[in-house]
Amino acid sequence: MKIQGQQTLPASRDRVWKALLDPEVLGRTLPGCDGLEAAGPDEYKMHMKLAIASVQGVFDGRVKIEDQNPPESYKLSVEGRGKVGFVKGGGAFRLEPAGDSETLVHYEGDVSVGGLIAGVGQRLLDMTSKMMIKRFFSAFSSELEKSA
Amino acid sequence: MIPSSFDYAAPETISEALKLLAANPDSKVLAGGQSLIPLLKLRLAAPGQLIDLGRVPDLHFIAETGQVIRIGAMTTHYQIETSELLREKCPLLAKTAANIGDVQVRNRGTIGGSVAHADPAADYPAALLALGAKVKIVGAKGERELGIEDFLVEALTTALEPGEIISEIQVPVEDKSVGTAYRTLVQPASGFAIVGVGVRLAAKGGKITLARIGVTGVASKPFRASKAESALEGKAPTAENFAAAAALAADGVDALSDLHASAEYRSHLAVVETRRALAEAAQGLA
Repeated sequence: MKIQGQQTLPASRDRVWKALLDPEVLGRTLPGCDGLEAAGPDEYKMHMKLAIASVQGVFDGRVKIEDQNPPESYKLSVEGRGKVGFVKGGGAFRLEPAGDSETLVHYEGDVSVGGLIAGVGQRLLDMTSKMMIKRFFSAFSSELEKSA
Repeated sequence: MIPSSFDYAAPETISEALKLLAANPDSKVLAGGQSLIPLLKLRLAAPGQLIDLGRVPDLHFIAETGQVIRIGAMTTHYQIETSELLREKCPLLAKTAANIGDVQVRNRGTIGGSVAHADPAADYPAALLALGAKVKIVGAKGERELGIEDFLVEALTTALEPGEIISEIQVPVEDKSVGTAYRTLVQPASGFAIVGVGVRLAAKGGKITLARIGVTGVASKPFRASKAESALEGKAPTAENFAAAAALAADGVDALSDLHASAEYRSHLAVVETRRALAEAAQGLA
């Protein structure tokens, strides 16, 4: 499944860059995540609990940050596994300044979902991923506004 | 497949159901079970307790009160489809119910269950948005009413708080002069709408005085095609004006993409079905 989009964030590019790579901020803003734990250089372990409709999924996963080119671009690879299925994928992020106090984040990635959830939930995968991205950016924006 | 084990409770009053729900947060409310039971069988959902609302008589009714028709949450799609009261006084809802799933689903599935599940491809929201319907919610703290637009938050997400239950859906009594239509293109295996469009249209002296268009299946949340609606106000109900307005049906909408239909195709279908629904509704104009 291809994921692509852009999002304007209410902070300068330097601040957005710092926050996007800050495991504490990510731990607070990723939907259902209860914190990231360092597992190596630029690599983190995470535990996510997601509830959508009556489906509850618990995922254990890893996030790795690669190809950093501050404050412009980086790549993120993610993999997670739970009882209801697995997710594996990666994405490229590009930060573009939009004035002094705003940043446009472009993201593009490819995610594969497998297991039970992919077999029976095909119809709901695209909307679920869009919902997750929306939730993340909205939590992330309020985090940036709080710390401004 | 066989679900994981759960406790089963079948209360007979709403207050008893609310007590059970408050006592065990790991409970799930069972209405018609047309979405929940498959999830249980696949073990995607594994609640500790099911609270079956099937034996609560206060949730089974269709009643006219002034200018409002109140529909109990446990009213089945079949009952809505065949209700003489709704066919006469809120035809859009009856037409929409007739389009849901298949006979088995319509016989078991309920309006309260469907609205609470908030599947973005469910049929009802298109009609309920066009009708400006309200959702009545009961909980430990009392009752509240929400417009359908505020009730539906996102795909599979509603404004229902833990411990709350939908008690009824309220729709307005339709004026005789209003023409209505519900059109849908379904994914044949699931019966879910790839696109569903509900339209209410009224005109006076050759000019459109009311245009309400609800669209489901296209985006992660069903929506009102407000640009198309405003393009129709004050215009003559002609095929050209319908086509021009329908072209705006999915304008600016972030359409969904899946195995069955790409975002581009879905947006295109929204335009086509809106145009057809407007033409069909116009035939009913008095």
